[in-house]
Amino acid sequence: MPPETSTDTIVPGSLEPDTTTGSTTGSRADFRTLEAGLDALQTSPLVEKGPWRRFADGVLPPVVLVLALIAAWQFYIVIARPRPDLTPGPLDVLTSITDLWSTGHLQTAVVTSLSRGGIGFLIAVAIGTPLGLLLAEWRLLRRALGPLLSGLQVLPSVAWVPAAILWFGLSDATVYFVVLMGAVPSIANGLVAGVDQIPPQLRRVGTVLGANRVEMATLVVLPAAMPGYLAGLKQGWAFSWRSLMAAEIIAVGGSIGFGLGSMLQQSRELADLPGVLATILVILFVGILVELVLFAPAERRLLRRRGLYLTAGR
Amino acid sequence: MSAVSVTERDRTGSGSHRPGISVSTDTAPAAVVAADVETAIRVDGLSKRFGKAGPVVLDNINLTIRPGEFVCLLGASGCGKSTLLNIIAGLEHPSEGTVTVASGKSAVMFQESALFPWLTASRNVELALKLRGVPHGRRRGEALELLDLVNLADAANKRPHELSGGMRQRVALARSLAQDRKVLLMDEPFAALDAITRDLLHEELERVWRETGRTIVFVTHNVREAARLGQRVLLMSSRPGRIRNEWRIVDDGPRRIESPEVSRLSIEITNHLREEIRRNAA
Repeated sequence: MPPETSTDTIVPGSLEPDTTTGSTTGSRADFRTLEAGLDALQTSPLVEKGPWRRFADGVLPPVVLVLALIAAWQFYIVIARPRPDLTPGPLDVLTSITDLWSTGHLQTAVVTSLSRGGIGFLIAVAIGTPLGLLLAEWRLLRRALGPLLSGLQVLPSVAWVPAAILWFGLSDATVYFVVLMGAVPSIANGLVAGVDQIPPQLRRVGTVLGANRVEMATLVVLPAAMPGYLAGLKQGWAFSWRSLMAAEIIAVGGSIGFGLGSMLQQSRELADLPGVLATILVILFVGILVELVLFAPAERRLLRRRGLYLTAGR
Repeated sequence: MSAVSVTERDRTGSGSHRPGISVSTDTAPAAVVAADVETAIRVDGLSKRFGKAGPVVLDNINLTIRPGEFVCLLGASGCGKSTLLNIIAGLEHPSEGTVTVASGKSAVMFQESALFPWLTASRNVELALKLRGVPHGRRRGEALELLDLVNLADAANKRPHELSGGMRQRVALARSLAQDRKVLLMDEPFAALDAITRDLLHEELERVWRETGRTIVFVTHNVREAARLGQRVLLMSSRPGRIRNEWRIVDDGPRRIESPEVSRLSIEITNHLREEIRRNAA
């Protein structure tokens, strides 16, 4: 410490030049430790939740709620004793599920519907992604096609079933057509929303770094739009699954296989309410399972990597 | 070590004298003065207005920057200093006049680090190398060297959100160095940082500048920062943006922001800056 700094008054310009000009922080190594110290002060390690904590936070609440709902349902059956053919109890539905399982109907229906839903969804991704990119980057096309696509997203895809049956007959083509009409607009719109939310600075960086159009699209725009795109995919899957069920309920017979929607329709024709409820639960369960197994982890990973997953570390 | 000597050139030609500052008697445009000297960036009669009837943002800017020079563009909000930088970067186009960057394109650093949030620090640098055409096998090693240059080799695998603001800007600096361009344009890169971090980054940047010999154009609204870093400080007026004054600081090694020379120069520049701002009243 130069003595001047400890005196009462400092006269401007009274300091010796050599104490104040030039690098007085010392060697490069000194600077490095100084900087490393500041870095350590300004960053705090992220605290990851343990597996038990994750289970308690994520899995426990919904499971407890479902169990409580089933208990309430059973309680109502025992107390109010409603007509069993109009209000079956949880046990009747459970019996129905095991019956459907033992005949093999359930497995066939789940596999048929899931594979159709999956294939339909993948085709929708293959169409919706380039369409979304085109819409996002080409203003004229967006002005022309954008409202139409949003309209299609609002239109219930079940409305396409009669037309599809007339065009394609009772075939898988009908089912896929309906699924695509439901899912493609969601996926394309999700991607457009994702692209719109890209901070303009990131594109400028791409330009500055010398990216051409293709590199800009693949290395900057598409990765940057991932959160919106993933939301679109999630919604696209939901629309695929819903449209599929609608198509399977309405279009039964022909070369169309036996899916969950067909099973639902069959149970209705047999006035088998436990069977209907059992199928609804299975459809719901498959939907939740796909969400939990595929989309939720992908989304969590994506958002965590970008520091957007707010519940992590809090 | 001798004190920093400063030369002020009044771009308006009105001239002014202040104690401790030797004023150059030469009031001719810099472009003419430096016509036969090697130039890195040359701006000729540049004007910019947004839209046909919009206000004039930049008015007749003439500027010559030599290779390896550290130039600070200083001005209040709305003086068009960022616009000038963007035009030099090729991100915007001038309405009139020309900009020539001798080495071709330039590297740019922005106020926000603008790192790609889905990539780690190292991958961010590697992407710049990839777009420069560096073969795949050499990218990782070069990226680590560049990160080491800004003392961030340990943070190579961290993602931007795990880094502090200062660290992010250092990654951004490493990324702009990865472009391997002779000219580095910086748009208020340290404006959002706290004073301690900014002070360290000044030292970091100065060292990188001395080691790599880059030509740096540094836009700021912080007078002390300009006085601390620049070899030349250009003061711009607002609405329309014009270069009003220029200070040349004889560079005799690193300066510190606390030093009396920097303070004296800051006061001097601030007085001019305030005068320019007062003009906009009523």
